[in-house]
Amino acid sequence: MENTYHVGMADLIVVSSPAKLITLGLGSCIGLVIFDSVAQIAGMAHIMLPESRGANIEKIGKFADTAVPAVISEMIKKGASKTRMKAKIAGGAQMFALQGAPTDFLAVGARNIKETTTMLAKEGIHLVASDTGGHKGRTVEFSTTTWMLAIKTLGQGKTEI
Amino acid sequence: MLDLSSFNNLQLDAIREVGNIGTGNAATALSKLLSCMIGMDVPKADLVSIYNIAEHYGAPDTLIAAVFVRSLGEFGCSLIFIQDEEDTRLMVNLLLKQQFGDSLPGDLPQEMLDSAFAEVGNIILSSFLNAINLLLGIQHQISVPGVAHDMLASILDVVATIFGQMGEMAVIVNTELRVGGVDNEGRKITGNIVLLPDPDALELLLRKLRVL
Repeated sequence: MENTYHVGMADLIVVSSPAKLITLGLGSCIGLVIFDSVAQIAGMAHIMLPESRGANIEKIGKFADTAVPAVISEMIKKGASKTRMKAKIAGGAQMFALQGAPTDFLAVGARNIKETTTMLAKEGIHLVASDTGGHKGRTVEFSTTTWMLAIKTLGQGKTEI
Repeated sequence: MLDLSSFNNLQLDAIREVGNIGTGNAATALSKLLSCMIGMDVPKADLVSIYNIAEHYGAPDTLIAAVFVRSLGEFGCSLIFIQDEEDTRLMVNLLLKQQFGDSLPGDLPQEMLDSAFAEVGNIILSSFLNAINLLLGIQHQISVPGVAHDMLASILDVVATIFGQMGEMAVIVNTELRVGGVDNEGRKITGNIVLLPDPDALELLLRKLRVL
């Protein structure tokens, strides 16, 4: 029987197979999955914002620049190998598009995508699949039996990456 | 900067009262627009953790419709009007029937329904804001409304993100409006106005109300 884990906002969970990692309703947030299918270990983070800027961090999964290294080191502690790690990401939508207003803070989704992919590249983790951007929220579910990330979007059904 | 974790009850009461004044004005405007009675609750002002905002409104995957506006000016804030998708459909129908009578075709395109919804939301939110700014004696400028239909959690992500840049807590003023009575099938239409003052604006508000 697979254990199911709900990854809440700014949470970070690392599990051994068999398990399911679920995040409901990602808007501008990013659902980041890193996995090592040989060691049978996977981690998911629900990233809210791109950069911690040295802030006093209560939840390490909150920022892209702290979540990526944290997932990797948690996985290594459980026996994963960094060289085998692969990543998948989903999310980073812009929920509201406003005309004629400064939309910096509404475009946080795009900045989240950029910072997450930059951090993965910096750590040398291969990003094998992604489903990002747009204007729709996503519910994501990662299975360590298939190593696939299922993405549900309202009105657009379900896809797997 | 204002430390949200040290907020006291007097301050939350003051914010709640501001919400009350805004809601009253919004209810009046909506009542004129739809030519029906609008009921309102006493607003709630809460200090909540940004990590579980969605829990205050319902299941994270509930389908909802939302109108979002940004207010620029001295009292910078974000305002969201949210309601169940089904309630939005009923409310928009009410508005369109009002305008077009029974000649209203049943299969209007989604863009037209969205545009009507954006307008209702805009009227509710700008009336809410007008009352507050009148109280504070300041000018404001409001953005055009943005509409989204999505999962509750995804829409409230926007809220969490706005406050997340500053810290772990958010001040949320939440109030419910009830449109008309119940219809023949016992349904009632409700919607929530959510006011999210920027931290600077919150400080200004509390100073003007002399509770800071």
